[in-house]
Amino acid sequence: MGHQENSPCRKGWSRREFIGASLAGAALGLGTYWAYRRFSATGLSWSFAPEKPAETFIAKAPRYQMDLVSLILRGMQELRITPQVIQGKRILLKPNLVETREGSEHINTHPLVVRAAVEAFLHLGAARVLVAEGVGHRRDTFMVLEESGLAEVLFEDRIPFVDLNYDTVFTMANSHRATRLATLTFPDTLKQVDWIVSMAKMKTHHWAGVTLSMKNLFGVMPGSYYGWPKNVLHHAGIAESILDIAAAVKPQLAIVDGIIGMEGDGPIMGTPKAAGVLVMGRNLPAVDATCARIMGINPHRILYLAGAAGRLGTIREDRIRQLGETIAGVRTPFALIDTIPAQQGIKL
Amino acid sequence: MQDQFTAAYLETIRTRVLDPQGGFTGQAGGGYRADATAWVAVALQAMGKETELLNAARASLAALQLDDGRVCLSTQHHDTFWLTPLAILAWQGASDYRELQARAGRFLLATTGRHWQRSPSLPFAHDPSLRGWPWIANTHSWVEPTSLAILALRITGGAEQERVKEGLHLLLDRQLPGGGWNYGNTKVFGQELFPFPESTGTALNALKGMVPKSQIQKSLDYLKSRLQDVRTPLSLGWGLMGLASWGEKPTEARAMINECLERQKRYGSYDTASLSLLMVASRAPQGLESVFTK
Repeated sequence: MGHQENSPCRKGWSRREFIGASLAGAALGLGTYWAYRRFSATGLSWSFAPEKPAETFIAKAPRYQMDLVSLILRGMQELRITPQVIQGKRILLKPNLVETREGSEHINTHPLVVRAAVEAFLHLGAARVLVAEGVGHRRDTFMVLEESGLAEVLFEDRIPFVDLNYDTVFTMANSHRATRLATLTFPDTLKQVDWIVSMAKMKTHHWAGVTLSMKNLFGVMPGSYYGWPKNVLHHAGIAESILDIAAAVKPQLAIVDGIIGMEGDGPIMGTPKAAGVLVMGRNLPAVDATCARIMGINPHRILYLAGAAGRLGTIREDRIRQLGETIAGVRTPFALIDTIPAQQGIKL
Repeated sequence: MQDQFTAAYLETIRTRVLDPQGGFTGQAGGGYRADATAWVAVALQAMGKETELLNAARASLAALQLDDGRVCLSTQHHDTFWLTPLAILAWQGASDYRELQARAGRFLLATTGRHWQRSPSLPFAHDPSLRGWPWIANTHSWVEPTSLAILALRITGGAEQERVKEGLHLLLDRQLPGGGWNYGNTKVFGQELFPFPESTGTALNALKGMVPKSQIQKSLDYLKSRLQDVRTPLSLGWGLMGLASWGEKPTEARAMINECLERQKRYGSYDTASLSLLMVASRAPQGLESVFTK
């Protein structure tokens, strides 16, 4: 059944090594050291080195019906994601799918952004691109796919989809331990890909302040093992769970759909906010910090970002090199609600 | 003579059985899924056939039961006991499993979610002190696991248990003011949330005959309207059974199921649990409970 228990994981490993570690269990030893050395030589996608400088790419994207493939390819070029890097890789795109409501483009990652990312990765030579999600509230994933419009895109472009809520799983030690969770259980699909791309939606959030590329990773945790909603993570602490999951999964890239985001009572009941941007980067805390600044939110006041700073990446403005547009050039303050504690005092 | 769906269903699940354990996978070539196995057992009971496959499914679930009666997704994940009510349903009517079923029932009666007192300072509107059942240990009680636990206890003669009555109270408390249920929050920070067909259908099955119809009429109205354009297996299956449990199964139910099955040409074959749920819905004239009281 694919379960592996209590395997070690240390900060500084890539996600791929980390997952490999879960398989190898206690027999890792010297082999793990060499695995670490091998991957380091090619450059870790997301270093755990405290405050290591990061790069974030911002593109203006005023609408969904435009050439998003070229925008994403430009971002990849700026971030030095070349065909040599992607050639032959198996890519998992993880959009943010929560619930659906008729005519709502502001809840879920837009299907045209997902389609553009698929095309961009295939253009760079990816061996396989799949879309995977473990929807947080709904058990009927098919319905969310249909009503969000993603089913149409997946069908037309013959893109495989994996429902992570019902995948077979493996369990490994939670070495980051921001929460008290001793282990984390992940879908087996994560072991079968080379890159994980967090494709988040730019939204305010009534428990976390914002939901961006790191909070989006809640969706890789299988509902069968964490519930609907993923209440295990709520009780363990939302911010702390975000950190543990991000440290374990360690995606190689984030693409945040801010073309139409959500302000106010997010992640579901808020109102549409056209920020007109796509934000990309290989260091997730840096990407989320940049998004927060675009939204007029102080990333240092967001609990999970403050926790990530210096441990999982940097959120300092002076340590993040902005590529493409400047933050000031696209800043679009998102409305916050004074009566929601997680949104109090976070305005820039 | 078997209808087309029955024949296709049996053919499909035979490609998903694991030998020699007797459990089922979610998809052909996939790994063991205890929930899929339980749903196959319920579907085979609804169909009244395939005793060999049914016995094998029941046996594989028995292997997952822990000493305290819980049945989990795997013996390594003791917190995932939301499978327990489904195992009770899978074992229903099988004398060999009566003791295991009773033990599972005792576990449910002794188990609850995490609860706390209601307070005006809380951001949600429901009463968090009402005890139902959670998906996973040490979390809050939610609509679907509470509904499944109530159904399992009712079907095995526990309708008068205090925990069942409290669970019914919880479900009514979690009903959305506009009708229907979602996973289990009604209002958060003052905003009423939206209902889901699958949660609504599950709750209506659990409440069948236990409350006056007037108390759930808005939910029936919501579901009738919503199912007009729903053709995905989980929502349609539970939605049809929810309406059927209150005598309001649409006359075109069979056609709706066929349309749902047709979509496999687009999406590929549905997972085992979804297909089994559809099979149960097609053979449950008055909701899930009626499968076991034929």
